Amino acid sequence: MSIITFDNAGKRFGSLDAVKDFSITIKDGEILGLLGPNGAGKTTLMLMMGTVYRPTSGTISVNGYDVVKHPNEVRKLIGIAFQDPRLDGILSAFDVLNWHLKMTTLFDKVERRRRVEDVLKSLDLWEARKKRTWLMSGGMKKKVEDAKILVQRPSIAVFDEPTAFLDVPSRLLVWKMIRQLRDEGSTVIVATNMMDEAERLSERVAIVNKGKLVASETPEQLKGTVKGGEVLELTLNDGSEFKPGLLKEFPEVHDVKQQDNKIMVFLNSGTLLLPKIVDTLSSQGFKIESVRLKEVSLEDVFLTYTGQRLE
Amino acid sequence: MSSSPTLARDLSSPPLAKESSTRLVFQMALRDVSVLFRTPWIIITRSLAFVIQLFVFAFLISGLIHVPGLNFFQYYAVGSVVATIASISFVIGYDIFEEAEEGVLDYLLTLPISRRQFIIGRALGGALRAIIYIIPMFLVVALIEGFAQPLSIISALLSLFLLAFGVTGMSITVAVSVKSANRFDVVLALLELAVSRASTALYPITFMPLYVSVFAPFSPVSFAADSARASLVGFTLDLPAIAGLIAFVVVFLGLGAAFYFRRLEGGIYS
Ligand SMILES: Nc1ncnc2c1ncn2[C@@H]1O[C@H](COP(=O)(O)OP(=O)(O)OP(=O)(O)O)[C@@H](O)[C@H]1O
Ligand SMILES: [Mg+2]
Repeated sequence: MSIITFDNAGKRFGSLDAVKDFSITIKDGEILGLLGPNGAGKTTLMLMMGTVYRPTSGTISVNGYDVVKHPNEVRKLIGIAFQDPRLDGILSAFDVLNWHLKMTTLFDKVERRRRVEDVLKSLDLWEARKKRTWLMSGGMKKKVEDAKILVQRPSIAVFDEPTAFLDVPSRLLVWKMIRQLRDEGSTVIVATNMMDEAERLSERVAIVNKGKLVASETPEQLKGTVKGGEVLELTLNDGSEFKPGLLKEFPEVHDVKQQDNKIMVFLNSGTLLLPKIVDTLSSQGFKIESVRLKEVSLEDVFLTYTGQRLE
Repeated sequence: MSSSPTLARDLSSPPLAKESSTRLVFQMALRDVSVLFRTPWIIITRSLAFVIQLFVFAFLISGLIHVPGLNFFQYYAVGSVVATIASISFVIGYDIFEEAEEGVLDYLLTLPISRRQFIIGRALGGALRAIIYIIPMFLVVALIEGFAQPLSIISALLSLFLLAFGVTGMSITVAVSVKSANRFDVVLALLELAVSRASTALYPITFMPLYVSVFAPFSPVSFAADSARASLVGFTLDLPAIAGLIAFVVVFLGLGAAFYFRRLEGGIYS
């Protein structure tokens, strides 16, 4: 059952198409990862869905409600943890969360306190609960921002780069808490430009590039769309003379991409082919600095769809 | 987490009821009021400044001004409370503009409250805050002038509240319309000047230059000052002035809510 539908949605800021002809359906109860480079339009998509921006074209509906015609119904379903923490700096972490619950739920004081305490303790922020959020570190602020949605537990939970600025233990913890949210029935959307986050958290990954949807599948299916199943990464000392045609002669090679000195060869039977490729390149006078053969990763998928690397 | 909390979705359905949207408007308003209580020293210092201004300046001027039938000190004392509440009410626009710059506005716009209710809540918060802010000054004036009639005090406060509510509506309208910081400051400062200086709050119309005296009677600050003085000094209701105040509120909040605020969109202002 789908709960959110983007139908040719677009958002123009002046002359810039931040999002263009974007269509996707999001299923009830799934974790969807929106993966895209900086400026791809992820935040704009989420804020249109959350009624903060009005789409300039197309429609978006949430649980059957059009975001423009019935914004209030939509707001009752969605909670957004913003990319940059959006906190009343003068308030303490406790008060920020308590106020958020007052505005978004009907819980009484006791239940609000129970939830806030629960989440702040899990995130190791209980000691700092009385600290004004403007005095908090970047990572602490970010955790308070995520905590808003973790205490609210909305039907549709949006996390915009939930683990940016977080240390490794905190990242793992936030991922776990997001999964719990989904286990309890929420639909979760996570915008990210981190491969591991998209891969480890999402059941489905939508790749967004330049405001457009370029692919959306499970991480496994996405990897399957990359021909060959293996990637040979070569680093040359000078890539300026390199021509992909040189390696495309081999029948096992499906695609070759180049970024400066880095050559990515998508192929099968990599172990057998490797010596031949090295020979071919050496005979043409290229010096090879490093060679790495690996299975296709989401990163490679991303590269084939967008022509860009993220990290 | 040890215990897994119950889902909001189970508990908030059936959807938030009508009375809860009134509650949310009120919560929104309280948020602005509470800012005042986090910085109580502002009220104290401003009240002191007010008293000094009143005694030094008004006392001096009232010695120079002699209009038959007019106690200028009294006139000025009431008027300066009115002028103060007008300028304090403008602050809410700056608050909202700042929230937009910092992005907190985007967050507030995701909360389950309509745009209309959001703006009305904020205007109400700004107005209540302004009333609370001037209460000490109002008491000082009431005390020295011996305004002891509870009914006239209540009707004067009502005029002040209407003024504050209209001014907050106007200030918010500017804040959500002008999306450039420089222009916003200029527009709001000019409006503030126009509304409060070109008014009968501090000086009777006979003392004004012609070009001001043409507009002054129509300033909402004049309406509030005239009706507050009518109730406090004359124990009467200045009905045309009260009607003017209500019209002012309707224009900036009623019409704004009906046609304009619905279109309010997020995005960081620059
Ligand atoms: N309020 C706005 N006004 C004008 N342009 C905007 C606004 N918000 C976003 N943009 C532009 O729209 C494009 C998409 O931005 P968006 O923030 O949606 O990207 P993103 O995918 O979230 O990027 P990031 O990974 O950096 O967060 C960018 O070019 C950005 O400059
Ligand atoms: Mg973003």
